[in-house]
Amino acid sequence: MTPDAINRLVAQLAKLPGIGEKSAQRLAFHVLRSPPEYARALAAALIEVVDRVKLCSRCFSLHDGPEGTFCGFCNDPRRDERLVCVVEGIADEMAIERTREFKGRYHVLHGVLSPLEGVGPEQLRIKELILRMQDTPIEEVIVATNPDVEGEATALYLTRLLKPIGVKVSRLAQGIPMGGDLEYADQATLARALAARRDL
Amino acid sequence: MKLLSLSYERFRNLEPVSFEPSPHATIAVGENGQGKTNLLEGLYLLATLKPLRANRLSELIRFGSPSAKVTGRFLINGAEREISVEIIPGGRTAFVDGKRAGSLDAYFGGVSVVAFTPDDLSVVKGGPDGRRAFLDRSVFNVQPAYLDESREYARALKNRNKLLKDHAPMSHLQAWDATLAKLGAKLWVRRRALMTALVERARASFQRIGRSPLEAQWHYEPAHLGEGIDFSAASEAELTERMLERLDARLTRDVERGFTSVGPHADDVEITLGDKPARAFASQGQCRALVLAWKVAEIENLQQANGFLPLLLLDDVSSELDPERNAFLMGYLADSGAQTLLTTTDAALVQRAAGADTKWFRVRAGTLTEEFRSASSTG
Ligand SMILES: Nc1ncnc2c1ncn2[C@@H]1O[C@H](COP(=O)(O)OP(=O)(O)OP(=O)(O)O)[C@@H](O)[C@H]1O
Ligand SMILES: [Mg+2]
Ligand SMILES: [Zn+2]
Repeated sequence: MTPDAINRLVAQLAKLPGIGEKSAQRLAFHVLRSPPEYARALAAALIEVVDRVKLCSRCFSLHDGPEGTFCGFCNDPRRDERLVCVVEGIADEMAIERTREFKGRYHVLHGVLSPLEGVGPEQLRIKELILRMQDTPIEEVIVATNPDVEGEATALYLTRLLKPIGVKVSRLAQGIPMGGDLEYADQATLARALAARRDL
Repeated sequence: MKLLSLSYERFRNLEPVSFEPSPHATIAVGENGQGKTNLLEGLYLLATLKPLRANRLSELIRFGSPSAKVTGRFLINGAEREISVEIIPGGRTAFVDGKRAGSLDAYFGGVSVVAFTPDDLSVVKGGPDGRRAFLDRSVFNVQPAYLDESREYARALKNRNKLLKDHAPMSHLQAWDATLAKLGAKLWVRRRALMTALVERARASFQRIGRSPLEAQWHYEPAHLGEGIDFSAASEAELTERMLERLDARLTRDVERGFTSVGPHADDVEITLGDKPARAFASQGQCRALVLAWKVAEIENLQQANGFLPLLLLDDVSSELDPERNAFLMGYLADSGAQTLLTTTDAALVQRAAGADTKWFRVRAGTLTEEFRSASSTG
């Protein structure tokens, strides 16, 4: 009989996305075999994450400062506060950040419009974006939602909301990834890129 | 493109089998219910990833088995490729040369197929959904991107219908209207282009097959598009604009019904024979000739677009055609040089499509046995 403590750990690990019962077991035994400091450090890291990481109350990025303060992006005076990039989630924000090209601020929606899944504007951080327009001099909003059906609808929704306020709204261009991958681009991407071709 | 070999594992009632088809006609003969259509269904799945007649892919798995698999070796642009599709309940996986085909486009490079089945006959007389599906298959055959585009459209449509039923606020609905209109216009343009490419050819081949003084005509009918726009000439942007207007104009009605009434999903193809709707007035034989003419047009168009002939699948040749049209079709196939897989209950009916390199198979209770016969004998 496996001790209950192990069963409990396996059960918790198996709840993680992408982790099946077997992998959970492997992970549990790995923890058990490792020096006890590892388990303590892991547990501390897990707890710290939930205790300290919150959402920035302005842009809803992740943030581990004290309650009521803003995140690193919002506090960085070198970042242009007139330019805001709207993303679906943290992973997209990280992807844009990796380019080191974007020097404005972010706004994380935490989802996209999806009536079939019961997600309407109220479930997203849209109201907060509009409120944000009132106390910061935002001139341009770049809507960087994914180019799928839900992402497009969300972008259109935001456009209709923001344009009347007098702010410039732009959308990420769609096309072929750089690096000569034309032959690997899927048909829909290629078709879109062809449609959005430009003069040289 | 040539199909070099084909194998089936746990597919419908077929016993595991692997065979090499003829470069031209391969003919499967058997009594009713023996597995002839199943044979074609497997190849159709391989070429399109879509079922030929099943409602759900899982129906293709042999009763009591966990999964089914079809594998084909093809010669595509001078290179041999192995393509296979595995089906488990709730999903399918495609492999190219043993590697999982991550994106399906890599997969759809060089295989195309046109199928003739007895079910096609209902296209003329049946409801508009059958005609749309028929048309969409033809578009997909020349434009693989159409598969994704029509899926996106369907998803946007479902979302909009949900909002209609929920009486969602206008601001939210409008965002989906705009998304739907953009995708809808794209499908319209694709369908329109196909109609343009096919209709003339289909009319001409109807003249050859139909043996009728009546003119056949196919006409795309966009539902509730309204006045003052020339559908055949409008740009994609104009169509987007028009669809948006119409969604708006019909909103009250659509909210009442909880269903969107404008867009490619509501359209129809009107088929006429001597200016009369074929749906109401065409005879059974005329219906057959109309479907046949369309398919022949499709074959010619694919040959022109791809530079090679599609694979042709003909199911149940006897029930599909009367003797004269059958003779035309068989002659056409023999002359075209296309690689063809035919099934029939009566070998005599397909004799004209047979040549020296024809391969004959007997299908009995899911088992395939090659039969050797001289080109002239029937049986
Ligand atoms: N998933 C399945 N597993 C096992 N057997 C199946 C499955 N689906 C269908 N069958 C069997 O396959 C047979 C039908 O095969 P098929 O439709 O290919 O016949 P056919 O030779 O085309 O007949 P016909 O000449 O009447 O069109 C039936 O006996 C049916 O029970
Ligand atoms: Mg059959
Ligand atoms: Zn912030």
